[in-house]
Parts: sequence; C-alpha cells; structure tokens
Amino acid sequence: MLFFRSEEQVREWCTARGYSMRPLVSMDQLWTLAITWYSTRLQENSRRPKPDEMRAIFAGLGLVGDFWDPQSDSFE
Amino acid sequence: MDFDTQIKLAVYGHFAETGRRPSPDEVAKLAGSDVGSVLDAYARLRAQRVLVLEADGSSIRMAPPFSGVPTQHVVMVGGKEYFANCAWDALGIPAALHQPGEVHSRCGQSGEPLHLEVDFEGPEPSAWLFHCLVPAAKWWDDIVFT
Repeated sequence: MLFFRSEEQVREWCTARGYSMRPLVSMDQLWTLAITWYSTRLQENSRRPKPDEMRAIFAGLGLVGDFWDPQSDSFE
Repeated sequence: MDFDTQIKLAVYGHFAETGRRPSPDEVAKLAGSDVGSVLDAYARLRAQRVLVLEADGSSIRMAPPFSGVPTQHVVMVGGKEYFANCAWDALGIPAALHQPGEVHSRCGQSGEPLHLEVDFEGPEPSAWLFHCLVPAAKWWDDIVFT
C-alpha cells in the first residue's frame, strides 16, 4: 500500500513488476478509510470493521467490485 | 475490562506516547501482569488482527496503524516521530491520535518525496494517489507484504 505522485507512476511501477494495475484511491478517499479504521483504535471498545461493514465503507467511497470485497474468491 | 483489552490498550498507549513498540516486559508492567500472560494475550490479539508479531513471537511488528520497525512512512504528530506500516496507516496515525500531523513518505515508483499536512479535517489538497496491489480478501494472507 504505497503513495504515488501520479497515475503514470503507478502504471510504471506495476509494469516493471508484472503486476496488474489496481483501482486508484485519492487522498480524500484515503482519509475516510483512515478515520473509519483508526479513529477509535486507542479506545477500549474499538474493533475492526466486519466484512459487511467493509463492503459498505468501500461502496460509500465508490470502491466496488471483487477487488474491494473482503470475502471474494476471485483472486485465488 | 477484560485482560486482552488491557494489554491492547497498554500496547497502543505506549506507541502513542513514545512512537516506539513496547517490550513484553514493559507491557507486563503497564498492565500489572507477567510476561507469560502478555505473550498469551498477544497471540489472541494477533488472531483478532489487532497485532502482528515478529517471528520470535514476542516482538511487535505492527499495531496498526503503528509500525514497530522503521519504515518509509514517517509521521510527525505533536513533536513525536511515528512509523506507519503503509500509506493508509500513515494517514491512520493522525486519525488515531486525533491530532494534526505531517506525513513524510515518497512515491513508490520515482522516490519523489511526499510531505503532506494533515489536520482535523484531513489532508491538505493533494493530487497524490494511493495504490493497493493486494485484493482486500488477501490482505491478511501476508499483511507485511500487503
């Protein structure tokens, strides 16, 4: 999970390693993910999102499809 | 509060206070317990995906968003230096601490430095991107690689 300066930099990184390019996430989307995962992490009752909750969080950001499905079996 | 939660809060509290991972002995003292009981709790917290341990089974590699080892993602909050496990966790540290911070990282391809200010509302406007190679269903197959 890395930062990249541009889409072109992501493409070059993936091509050099023979990887498929994955969906890109903006800094604003990433902030929402960071808040959702971690804003209660130092508190007694914190917990990680469950799979259904993860799907809803991702979908709310427009991150949909098998890649973002925590229970997908499309990537065996 | 149950014992595992006490241990989790001791670990995370130490990271928040110091930016560094605690030893099992330090956690035992913080929790008023013993090292054996702490290590048993570590194993259970690993199963809950709250901690990631080194191969020795006792050193904390990750207490997400905090990294127990230096990484390319450095986050400054309140004058303290923290290491994040990944780009996501780099924003996760100010989010977890509920304080403004500054993320120092780099482009995964070019190495161009990234300096990103983060306040209570989120990061400053930026065209930088986040890319995750591993599908969500596989993140914890090898979370260090992810």
